[in-house]
Amino acid sequence: MLNIEDLHVEVDGKEILHGLDLRVPPGEVHAMMGPNGSGKSTLAYTLAGREGYAVTRGRVLFQGQDLTAMKPEERAQEGVFLAFQYPVEIPGVSNANFLKSAVNAVRRHRGQPELDAIEFLKLARQRLKLLNMDEASLSRPVNVGFSGGEKKRNEIFQMWMLDPRLAILDETDSGLDIDALKIVAEGVNALRGPGRATLLITHYQRLLDYVVPDKVHVLAAGRIIKSGDKELALELEAKGYADLVKAAAT
Amino acid sequence: MSVDITSIDPYIRQFAVARSLLPGAGFAWLDAKRDAAIKRFGSNGFPTAKVEAWKFTNLNPLTQTTFHNVVVPSQPALTKAALAPYRLTPDCHLVVFVNGQFRPDLSALDHVPDGTRVVGLGDADEDDLHALIAPPSVAADSRARSLLDLNTAFMNDGAVVHLGRGAVLDPVQLLFVAIPDSAPLAFQPRNLIRAEAGSSATVLETYVSLGVGAYWTNVVTQIAIAPNAILRHYKLQAEGGSAFHVAATSVRLERQAAYRMFAVSLGAELGRNEFDIDLAATDATARLAGVTLACDAQHLDTTIRIDHSKPRGTSSQEFRSVVAGHAHAVFQGRIRVAPDAQKTDARQSSRNLLLSAAAAADTKPELEILADDVKCSHGATVGDLDRDALFYLQARGVDEADARSILIDAFLNELIEGIGGQAARAYFRRACDSWLAKGSRP
Ligand SMILES: Nc1ncnc2c1ncn2[C@@H]1O[C@H](COP(=O)(O)OP(=O)(O)OP(=O)(O)O)[C@@H](O)[C@H]1O
Ligand SMILES: [Mg+2]
Repeated sequence: MLNIEDLHVEVDGKEILHGLDLRVPPGEVHAMMGPNGSGKSTLAYTLAGREGYAVTRGRVLFQGQDLTAMKPEERAQEGVFLAFQYPVEIPGVSNANFLKSAVNAVRRHRGQPELDAIEFLKLARQRLKLLNMDEASLSRPVNVGFSGGEKKRNEIFQMWMLDPRLAILDETDSGLDIDALKIVAEGVNALRGPGRATLLITHYQRLLDYVVPDKVHVLAAGRIIKSGDKELALELEAKGYADLVKAAAT
Repeated sequence: MSVDITSIDPYIRQFAVARSLLPGAGFAWLDAKRDAAIKRFGSNGFPTAKVEAWKFTNLNPLTQTTFHNVVVPSQPALTKAALAPYRLTPDCHLVVFVNGQFRPDLSALDHVPDGTRVVGLGDADEDDLHALIAPPSVAADSRARSLLDLNTAFMNDGAVVHLGRGAVLDPVQLLFVAIPDSAPLAFQPRNLIRAEAGSSATVLETYVSLGVGAYWTNVVTQIAIAPNAILRHYKLQAEGGSAFHVAATSVRLERQAAYRMFAVSLGAELGRNEFDIDLAATDATARLAGVTLACDAQHLDTTIRIDHSKPRGTSSQEFRSVVAGHAHAVFQGRIRVAPDAQKTDARQSSRNLLLSAAAAADTKPELEILADDVKCSHGATVGDLDRDALFYLQARGVDEADARSILIDAFLNELIEGIGGQAARAYFRRACDSWLAKGSRP
């Protein structure tokens, strides 16, 4: 599904990722952990196509296509979704209008008929209910005045509405209360299945209690220094990164 | 300062011919005002960048052409149906001017309510003429008001809207239609809005062109709002692409009077929308807001002077511009608070969005505060679209061009949503939407 080989990424002329290899096969959920500043968000933004994240070496294939050649919107239309670590506030743009434009852009790309306002609202209300979110949030400006947890839930809501093939969740579990965490986990599990893959960037084991990953990777200083199964996350929770990072350096 | 004779001489000669044909000719006092005005215009000439109030707006493109003031213009054939797209609502009171001349045949004034009078300048009485000719009570350098003087000399039509005590007029539209001629024409309308005590009115001014070609609208609007009266004043400047539009609006507010203004400026090669607001008595309120949409090589200027002359006045100026191509937007806002205008609350904000590297915006606040117990704030920004917001939208699958439109739309909507009247809100939203559909694309 996602195939990353020897990926080097520079931001503002500084190399942040120094040759990263990662394969996420269809149907799998992979967790990505690692110390602050190790490059997790850099990887996420690079996959989403953010301006200023220059791939200087290596390649990224998504469903066999070169992802780096596509504009951000083309990636999204192809099925890449990034839940932002820091969702952006957009004053003056209502959640409903924004998401309807997005959903229909993706549907057009997939050759599906566009949703009219009534169909869109029906679908949106249904998903909001499942996420235990307030319907009124649809008419509010995107993320403006949302609490930290509300912003994260809003990311999951958007993910559900857009029905991605590859979901990248950048610390979506941070700042969530325990009920919200379960809802997010259900959201991720609901999108688990053949033809889909998920990359969960997280600092905490607790999300992985609800979304059991097929693999866990440790990113440190721009490289993956260790990969393992779900037991690796438990081990990290107990011991921290220090020994691993030291071992990788020698 | 030396004055460029070649640019002003044709107007002085045109005036000599027109003088005895203009409305009110024969009233000695009015003839004297017109003579004095053309004399001042002759000695001051067109404002240049040396005049502080005009430092961002260069009138060279205007002065290079001689525009013809036609006192009795031909009456181009036009149907009511052709004007329908520009109307505020299909049934609002309507005063139509074609090439500067009042057209009762195209207007809709049959149901003007009791206590109100809406007529063309030809039917103005002597009282109206005195009010029309009164100089703005807000002081300014006389060289900055040269084009107002030119209008005083040539004014030959316009709308007189008079609201008696407690009258309600909601709404009336003044629709100025230009049909450009092969020879460039000058239109010099002079409007008067007088709201007597306790009255309430909504007045929309619309300027459009039904053809291609250069012309010049040089309009002056005089507004007097008596105690406890309220005027909602809207203006859409959608002149033709080769047109020039210069407007001077002056407003005098009495005790507890309220003035609300919203303007959208998107037409003309060069446009200037100037407001002089005098809060001449206690507890008056003036709220001005507007949007400038400029593309290609347009130059659009909004200049506001607000005088707080008496205590407890409230004023606000909230203006935004979206500038594309190599267009230029200007905002100048002066707030003066007189020594005894205590408890004044005056706010000003100018935000400008530049859509291309060659687009420019100049914004200049000017505060002269001579009272000590006042609240006064101002802020200005000039910048690009928010890159993070743009990426967020794109990362959800929205095309870059659509994402840009969504963000520009939001920037404008924050102001448009503040328009009180539902019909006016829809009218301006339509105007902005059609501009966005073409103007904002890089
Ligand atoms: N614009 C930039 N210029 C230079 N360095 C940058 C820039 N943006 C990020 N970095 C650096 O890149 C490194 C990786 O940052 P990144 O945000 O990817 O870390 P992260 O693993 O997501 O951390 P966290 O767990 O705190 O979210 C950090 O050292 C950061 O300071
Ligand atoms: Mg991060």
